[in-house]
Amino acid sequence: MSQPVIAPAGVQALQVLTVLGSAPLVSGITSHLEARLQGRRGPRVLQPYYDLAKLFRKETVVPEGSSWAFLAGPVVGFACYLVVPLLIPVLTTYGLPLGYMGDILGGGMVLALGGFAMALAASDSGAPYAQLGASRATTFAALAEPTVLFVVFIVAMITGTDLPYALAATVRSSSELARPSHVLVAVAFFLVVLAETGRIPVEAHSGTLELGMIEEARALEHSGAPLALAKWGSAVKQLVLYTVLINVFVAPWGLASSGKVAGIVVAVVSLVGKVTLLGAVFALVDNSFSKLRLFKVTEYLAGAFLLACLGVLVFYTGGG
Amino acid sequence: MGQVPSTYASGAGIAALLVLLAEFAMLRAPSLRSQVRLYMSQSLVVVVLAAVTAAVRGLDDLYVLAGLSLLLKVVLVPALLVHLLREAGSDLSGSPALKVASMVLVAIAASAFGFFTVGPLGFRSPVLPSSAFAVAAAVVMVAFVLIILRSDVVSQAVGFFSVENGVSLASMVVAAGLPIVVELTLLFDLLVAVVAFGLIMRAHHALRGTLYTWELDRLRG
Repeated sequence: MSQPVIAPAGVQALQVLTVLGSAPLVSGITSHLEARLQGRRGPRVLQPYYDLAKLFRKETVVPEGSSWAFLAGPVVGFACYLVVPLLIPVLTTYGLPLGYMGDILGGGMVLALGGFAMALAASDSGAPYAQLGASRATTFAALAEPTVLFVVFIVAMITGTDLPYALAATVRSSSELARPSHVLVAVAFFLVVLAETGRIPVEAHSGTLELGMIEEARALEHSGAPLALAKWGSAVKQLVLYTVLINVFVAPWGLASSGKVAGIVVAVVSLVGKVTLLGAVFALVDNSFSKLRLFKVTEYLAGAFLLACLGVLVFYTGGG
Repeated sequence: MGQVPSTYASGAGIAALLVLLAEFAMLRAPSLRSQVRLYMSQSLVVVVLAAVTAAVRGLDDLYVLAGLSLLLKVVLVPALLVHLLREAGSDLSGSPALKVASMVLVAIAASAFGFFTVGPLGFRSPVLPSSAFAVAAAVVMVAFVLIILRSDVVSQAVGFFSVENGVSLASMVVAAGLPIVVELTLLFDLLVAVVAFGLIMRAHHALRGTLYTWELDRLRG
């Protein structure tokens, strides 16, 4: 008896839907774990879904003097974050029809475009804290960029392409994981993900103090559905970055190798499991370190850049 | 596409990198005690690497080297430095000439110089991966950066001692098969340096009442 098979386009849509649907869950589980580690009971695991539902029902208030960019920002950002799951191995080991539309750099560009749209919306609000958040987020994103580029260099040098699928396949097929340059870039990428998802030691994501905020502050002026989209978008961005870290660099196992339904179901479950595990690691990091002073964030990013640089140097001098 | 190294080579490569990363960590360590601790852990990595190499490659001489290094670099030298620090009663390192992020960038450039000067030699070692040699060169370069940019005697001494860690890593790659006397000469060098730096630190502290060197940049008639 042959198993039912999902067409490649369907699988691709499923990749996006999986990320879209499970992003709030991953956020919820992470913040629940975080609370437990701090000895609090914490919010329900499903709380982010309730928050989103509530926000979608609320009215939208627009600051006086703001233009269409204020409302378009969260929508464009959300759309950008949803494009990336088309390009990366979320559920399958093989590239799907649109998977070769862009490489890692393309994915990075789409993510940055989303960040740009959000920054534009924040600037358009005319509110000082939102603008402060936008300017900080953009500055730190620019400082994290060299690290990402060096990580991509290594991927390109190891696989001869810069497709995420190729690196995942290399990691699966050999003792690549123990290769010194691979270890270095994986750790560097981990540090970048930590910074990009607005977590300690860069940003206290659950804080309410505006002066310490970076990415959180951008959506301070938004309300109603746009705020829901901004929140959902940042959850999706977080899940996308987690997925890249896990399914490309660290543990690309459990993915489906064909369109068979059973394999896809296993892939969805294993993705959520792996991402939750990574979320637990992030919660642990959150509780083990204190937030850096804003001006020390450059030192942190210099550390990440150092690891990526050493990765390239070691690879060049034949250390693998 | 580069060839994937064997597990032993990868492990040795990562250990060599840990030595280099410890050197970078020293560069940004704000307190002198943490600097000494970092030197201790760096030496420990070198010792473990020597012991594992001895076991895997069957080089009995390296066991002697590992034992002596453990005694000298992990126990004696750090203990001596901590003792000196306690006597001096100061723990914050001298403010460096550059900010930490810029210092790291300068050190990255220096380590790149180290990597690329050694890389073209096309060195092949039967004992350790050739990248360990390049990493050792980078360790020496970063240690120089540490000595130049830090303005207190303890950091400078620790920087000098960690140069020796880099050199002993290099000697393991180049001359692991050589008689033990070569290695012992290196360790003896370190011993002389420890005595000399110990004297300098004490003399500086006794004369100036401080561990920092920025008071030495004025001419005196």
